[in-house]
Amino acid sequence: MGQIIVTWSKTIKEFLRQRTVLFWTIGWPILWVLIGSFSFTGDAPAEIVSHTRGAIAISMMVFALMTAGMANLPGNIAQDRERGLLTKLMSMPISPWRDFCGRILALLVFSSLSAVSVVAVGYVCGARFFFTMNQFGYALGFILLIFIASAGIGMLIGTFIKHVHGAIMTGVGLTVVSAAISGVMTPYAYLPLVLQHFAKIYPISSANSMITYLLVGKDYAGYNPLSTSQITLTIIISLSVFAVGLITYSKFCWRKE
Amino acid sequence: MYAIFTENLTKKYGDKVVLKKVNLKIEQGEFYVLMGPNGSGKTTLASIIASVKLPTTGKVEIFGVEPEKAKKEIGYVPQENFSSPILTGKENLLYFAGLLGYSKSEAEKIVGKLLKKVGLLEDANKRVSNYSGGMRKRLEVATILFPYLKLLILDEPTTGLDPSARRKFLGMIQELRDEKTTILLITHIGADAELASRVGLIDEGEIIAEDDPENLKKASGLENVINIETPIKNEKVATVLGAFSERRKVLETEEGYRIFTKDVEEATPKIVRSLDAIGCKATKIETVAPSLEDVFFKLTEKMVSEVG
Repeated sequence: MGQIIVTWSKTIKEFLRQRTVLFWTIGWPILWVLIGSFSFTGDAPAEIVSHTRGAIAISMMVFALMTAGMANLPGNIAQDRERGLLTKLMSMPISPWRDFCGRILALLVFSSLSAVSVVAVGYVCGARFFFTMNQFGYALGFILLIFIASAGIGMLIGTFIKHVHGAIMTGVGLTVVSAAISGVMTPYAYLPLVLQHFAKIYPISSANSMITYLLVGKDYAGYNPLSTSQITLTIIISLSVFAVGLITYSKFCWRKE
Repeated sequence: MYAIFTENLTKKYGDKVVLKKVNLKIEQGEFYVLMGPNGSGKTTLASIIASVKLPTTGKVEIFGVEPEKAKKEIGYVPQENFSSPILTGKENLLYFAGLLGYSKSEAEKIVGKLLKKVGLLEDANKRVSNYSGGMRKRLEVATILFPYLKLLILDEPTTGLDPSARRKFLGMIQELRDEKTTILLITHIGADAELASRVGLIDEGEIIAEDDPENLKKASGLENVINIETPIKNEKVATVLGAFSERRKVLETEEGYRIFTKDVEEATPKIVRSLDAIGCKATKIETVAPSLEDVFFKLTEKMVSEVG
């Protein structure tokens, strides 16, 4: 068995067996899909209702991806450090890079599971999406960007915040606040000008708008996020955040003092 | 070639010197116990040998090479409980087997053997969160029992274990000793060190004495140790007992005090009378053989472990 596979297997089991992780990453976004679907769209015309529910489902899927990357990943890293597993691993003939790959792979599977669950519940609640296969392919790419950016931020949190609860709470806090001020949980059009600028720079909200634009329609994105410059900016920032997180994790978490 | 060789090994954190020019030579197949109080530098020394930390200055060799290159031969159990409580005992060991490069079928076989060896075969499929402290420690020790590991480093493995779990655990270590694996055990519990072929006493980053347990006791000159159980423990009682002890040294224990005297027969009735005089009736007075904790106390005037 390779190091990547066993690390993947251990991490995914740890994610799936912790009720709090399951609740905050899958249960909580689903709860908001249910609340959003039935509270805020009751009297609107049927077409608008299904579109709005679609936009809500996408926002909550993004929220689930953010929680997985920005809270669960750092929680997992901090937990392994706090209980001495990283010390044990440092004494073994293994590679930090493979450990990293195993963790990220587990996070990818877990994030995908949470994203699919949230969207499926949204669909059952009446969310509808309208897209071509091409648009769907692009949307998957943007979902991957959200995953990458969230994981990058998560690695930074997990590296610098040593205690499990501190790491998880920081991740949750950052997820909620950044989702609230960047247009993930609030319609872009209602944001003040300065936050609209932020929503375009913050790769997660930018990718969220792109997915919404592609799968639900331009009215629900608030602006056209699919300009070449906007896409390029989102890709560059997402990859940069991930690279910084990865380098920081490899250098500081596995550093010998 | 030594299993562990250190020369002038020094470790500093800022201005604080944790290890001061430590010279340690441990032969292959030796069972060496490093004993010292909290903060004496023993864990730092173990983690440098285990390639987890770097020395500030000095030389470290494991089987003739630097620790980083000897990782394949080192099995290290840190002080903390590092096993995942959410996984079962078997899943934890399969994880470590995988990290060490075993194929799935090989891992299954060897993990079964290891679980049997540490007495956890029946509990293999229980989550570690349902294990007792002793079971969890045995599981973690199993992570260093994979074949080909020639040097085993165990940092405070018996801390927090109840007496029965400690006995079981030490029995397991005894078996390993018989297999001629090199073992470095870190502890602050004197009884753990009695099994060793050699004991090093460490205090404030320096190894202050080193020999086999019996020689250490002989060299300390301790012959008569009186163990006194008292219903109360305070400064007044300690001062009274100090008058009967060599250089007024009084070691506090769980149940009372220990003192070191040359003439037990003469001292005992006087101790009883003096304690009565201050209203502290001794519940038990007995002469006992000196322990390694007594030796450490005699050398440093410090207790090797905290008294609860």
